[in-house]
Formats: sequence, C-alpha cells, structure tokens
Amino acid sequence: MAHVVLKNLIKTYGGYNAVNDVSLTINDGEFVALVGPSGCGKTTTLNLVAGLTSLTSGEILIGERLVNDVDPKNRDIAMVFQNYALYPQKTVYANLAFPLQMRKLPRDEIDRKVKQAAQMLDMTHLLERKPRELSGGQQQRVALGRALVRDPAVFLMDEPLSNLDAKLRVQMRSEIKRFHQDLKATIIYVTHDQLEAVTMADKLAVMSGGNLQQYDSPAKVFANPVNMFVASFIGSPAMSLVPLTASTVDGRAVLAGAEGWTLALSPLNARKVQRATSSKVVLGARHSTIKLTTSAVPGAIPAKAYTVEPTGDVTFVQAMLSGAIVNISVPPDVAVEADQPIWLAFDQDRMHLFDGATELALKAD
Amino acid sequence: MTVASKPAPRATIDLWRWAGRAFLAVMMLFTLLPMVWMLLTSIKSGFAALQFPPQWWPNEPTLASYKKLLDPTSSVGEDFLRFFWNSLFVSTMSTILSVIVAVPAAYAFSRFDFPGRKFLFFSVLLRNMFPAVVFLVPLFILMRFLGLMNTHGSLILTYLTFGLPLAIWLLKGFYDNIPYQLEQAARIDGASRFQAFLLIIMPLSVPGIIATAIYSFIGAWNEYIFAYTFINRNDRLTLPIGIQRFFSESSSDFPGLMAASFMMSVPVVVLFLMLQRYFVRALTEGAVKH
Repeated sequence: MAHVVLKNLIKTYGGYNAVNDVSLTINDGEFVALVGPSGCGKTTTLNLVAGLTSLTSGEILIGERLVNDVDPKNRDIAMVFQNYALYPQKTVYANLAFPLQMRKLPRDEIDRKVKQAAQMLDMTHLLERKPRELSGGQQQRVALGRALVRDPAVFLMDEPLSNLDAKLRVQMRSEIKRFHQDLKATIIYVTHDQLEAVTMADKLAVMSGGNLQQYDSPAKVFANPVNMFVASFIGSPAMSLVPLTASTVDGRAVLAGAEGWTLALSPLNARKVQRATSSKVVLGARHSTIKLTTSAVPGAIPAKAYTVEPTGDVTFVQAMLSGAIVNISVPPDVAVEADQPIWLAFDQDRMHLFDGATELALKAD
Repeated sequence: MTVASKPAPRATIDLWRWAGRAFLAVMMLFTLLPMVWMLLTSIKSGFAALQFPPQWWPNEPTLASYKKLLDPTSSVGEDFLRFFWNSLFVSTMSTILSVIVAVPAAYAFSRFDFPGRKFLFFSVLLRNMFPAVVFLVPLFILMRFLGLMNTHGSLILTYLTFGLPLAIWLLKGFYDNIPYQLEQAARIDGASRFQAFLLIIMPLSVPGIIATAIYSFIGAWNEYIFAYTFINRNDRLTLPIGIQRFFSESSSDFPGLMAASFMMSVPVVVLFLMLQRYFVRALTEGAVKH
C-alpha cells in the first residue's frame, strides 16, 4: 500500500479545463471518495492517476515515486470499472490470472493467488464460467477480484456500483467497505452518489466544474460545508438554502425574508453576517434542524405547508420561504396538511450562513 | 390507430405467410436450378450434353470431365490446375494483405483521434463511389508504369484497393462496439498498448476479421475484368479467365466447362460453410448490450 499525492493537476481539453488545479493527499490505507455531479472532473482525475489520460500539468506521486510519465502498467495500481471491463472471451479464472501472467509470475504462484482471491470473494465455484454467464453482482465481484489478486499499491474504483440494482448496491457497498477494512488498502473511489461516498469513505473530495470544492472527512463536510454547492450536494434530502437580506432592527442583526418577516440572529451568527460582502445572505438549514409547530411560537417564522411527504418513519414537509423551498422533517404522528399555516424555528447553533455573492460559507473570525 | 389495434383475421395472416413461402420457394428454384443444371451437365458425356430434347438425368453418368480436369498429365488438366493454383494464390494473398492492413487501420480509426481522421475515413469510401470499370484504364497505365503487367502482383494490388474500404468500415464498426475500458483494464493489468490490442481486442474481433477475410477472398476469387486486362500470359491466368478461354477454344465441351465451373465454386462454398458461424456472429454482434 502507498499514499498518493496529487499536486496542482490540470487537464485541458481544447481550452476547457476538465480538471482545474486539483491538489489532494491521500494517506496510506485511506478510502477517499471523489464525489460530484456528472461532468465535475472526478473520472478524469481518476484516469489521470491511472495514467489512462495524459496530464496537462501538475504532479502525481504514488508512494514516493513521481509517475507523471509512467505507463499505467508500471504504476502498481488496479482499477475497477463501471462496466467491470471483464475480458469476455476469458473464463473467470483467466480473468483473474491475466494481470499475474502479464507480470510473468510462475504458474503455480498464479494458481495459488487466483484461488486465494476467489476464496476471499466467495466465487470459487464460478472460476470456470465466462463473464456473460454471471449475474451483475458476480461480475462486479470478479472485477474486484481481478484488482485484488495483484496486491497493488492503490485501488482505483470508477463508479463500481452504479450498474447494480438498488438492493445489490447496498450489499456490495458493505462488501467493499469490509474489503477496505480487511486489506487496509488505499482506495480512490469515484461516485456521483453522495450517499455512497458518505457511507463508505474516510474522506470526501467534493468536486464541481473541475475544481476541488472541499476535502475532509464525511462528518466535517456534512457539518461545515465550505460553500453552497457542497452544502446542497452532500446530505439527503439536500440542505435548504434560503436567500435573505441582512439588516438591523433596534440595533440587533436580523435576516429579512421576502415575505416581510425577520429572523433575529445569535451574537455568533451576527458576527458571521457582518463579514458578508453585501447584504445578500443565504441561510442554510438541514431538515432535522428546523422545528415545525402548527401554532405561533416566539421567534418562529410563519409559513405555509406546500407539500407533505410521509415516508413511514419520518414525514417531510416542504414550505416556501423567500422563493425557496424549505424541507423540514417531522415525526410521522405530527399531522400537517398542505396549505396549512405552520411556524418554523431555526436552530441558531446548527444553521449555516453563506455569502449571497460569493456563495462561500461565512465564518465568525 | 383503430385499424392497427384490431387483430388481423387469421385467414389473412395465413395467406401472407403462404405467399411469403411461395415467393421464397420461387427464389430458391431461381438460384438453385442453374447450379443443379451445371452439376448434371458436368456428369454427362459430350454428346448427351448437346441432345435435344435434353436428358434431364444423364443415361450414363460419368466423371470423365472431372478426371480430365484433375489429371496433371493431360494438357487440359495441366492448364486447369495451374489456373486454379493461380487463383488460389492471388485470392489468398489479397485476403491476407487485406486483413493485415484493415485490422490496424480500422482499429486506428476507431480508437485514435488524429488530424485528418474524418477526411481519411471518408476518402476510403471515395473509391466505392465509382464503378470499378472506370479504374480499368488508369490502373492499366499505372501497372504498366510500375512494370507489373502480367504479374499476380498487379491483381493482388488491385483487389486490395477494391476490398479494403469495406473491410475497414466493417472492422471499424466492430471495434467501435468493443468497450474501450477493456483495453484500459488490460493496460492497468500490465499490458502495453500493443499487448492490450493483441491479447484482448484481437481475439474479440475474430468474427469480424473472418467476415472481412471471406468478403475479400470471394471478391478476388470471382474477379474477371481486371484479370482479363492485366494478364495475357497463359501460365499466369486466373480461373475466371481460364474457364472463359476454355469455353471459347473448345466450345462443344459443355460437360468440361460445367465441371470446371463447379470446381471453381468449391473453395468458396467450403470456406463459407466452415466459417459461416463466425460470419453470422459478425453481422449480429453488438446488436444488444452485453
């Protein structure tokens, strides 16, 4: 296993930066998820690490070795592809043996390693089959096995679960996580599914438009998103973002909504708002941090329920505030109906404030 | 829409089905009868072949014509075997060369982005826009200039230019259907780019290569007009010209002519029967997602 360092990676396609100045350090044995919407540059970044795409500028180190100009086959990496890329004409056994044959290992050692990997992934009985005779989950396991036999320095995984059905995906998710824990493997995992990233990875690298937005543990990214993009991308349902105007009432800092209501701010939040570049401030709140009441409460903001979505163990209520939809979760026994007046109280300690102009999170100091 | 949703009466379906079968039967007779007649004539004696009304089944079937053709000591047999060998050589060589050129070319068109890729790809098709005869005189002049008149090289070169465009197009379609992740996987698994092509992609494209090979072999095997123009020396003639000469020199020997024609069709039929499994696969491959 080895650590991986990406320094100022840039990949340009005809004047367009698919990857724009991305720097990351992935520690030995760490599971890092590159996550972002499609077209954000995450797969390109992975292909740069693999050596399948040539770098425009920057440096890639695997272990202590600079691999910018090293062929993929000499980078000591293994990769799992979205469509598995199993060799269709070869049996499962031959698929697993191929990377070892390419390294010119002795026949008996190849046999031993293939059988060991097959045993680990519980597919000894599949060794003589061709990939087309396997189910999606089995194919995915073979792909994992082919990466595993090599004992590479780094595992690269490009959306390995997105071709599986929902149930199998959850199952394979825990298998890959277990695989990481058992092997202490360094894994770079690309996904557009934030839930997959949050549940599996030690660290998230959130990307958008070719730029790295935030790189931190899932808990920290969740608790302290650096900007509005990360705030809305990580977490499900997404964080509600309400555009408001900062002003003062009787010497106290408040945020004013388009409907005319005002929200008094705690001293800490008031300091944050003071640092905004304009009076435009965006309030961010996760569904669980908003308290919904069906009668007026001091400090709560009046609104009207827009839709009500019971899911069984929790009910989501949507309301319109300042032209934005706010998502609130309530216990299923709270009876709310569409168009019913409701009052929303925001938790001052858990609310997020963003600069309306720069979209960056506002900090108190 | 109401018309379409109404189930068609059973009788109508049957009528169409039987009409279709009758049409197929007529077409089959149309293609098979000449061949049957060729076979029947080839086993008749020279006299029986000219009789009128014709003998549908020969009174005295004989293999004399075949014996004569295959006997290297007779002058007819010597010529026939030489023409046969010439045709085999020319067709095999143009097939091999066509595969050698078309495989890397198609792969490059499918996988690499290089300047002029689109232009080159369509210029490959340019040749097919003109009837082959248009090229007869220019190619004749070119071959004379190159000193290739009366050589098999002139024919191999010509067949190559005619066979390659379709071969490249066919194979490119084939490579387009092979996911590029397979090569990426191979390259990460320790193969060089060339090894990935050789060990992973080539075996996958075998059906396509075979289809291409059959196509160019048949094209070369049956070609007449260029062989007739470029080759004058008797010992270098290919079968189509050889048989035609045979016909004009001994016009009464119909059984011999038919036997020679039958022998000429044997390699193509054998080749096709042996490889048709691949041929059909090549035409249907990539039709569904794997």
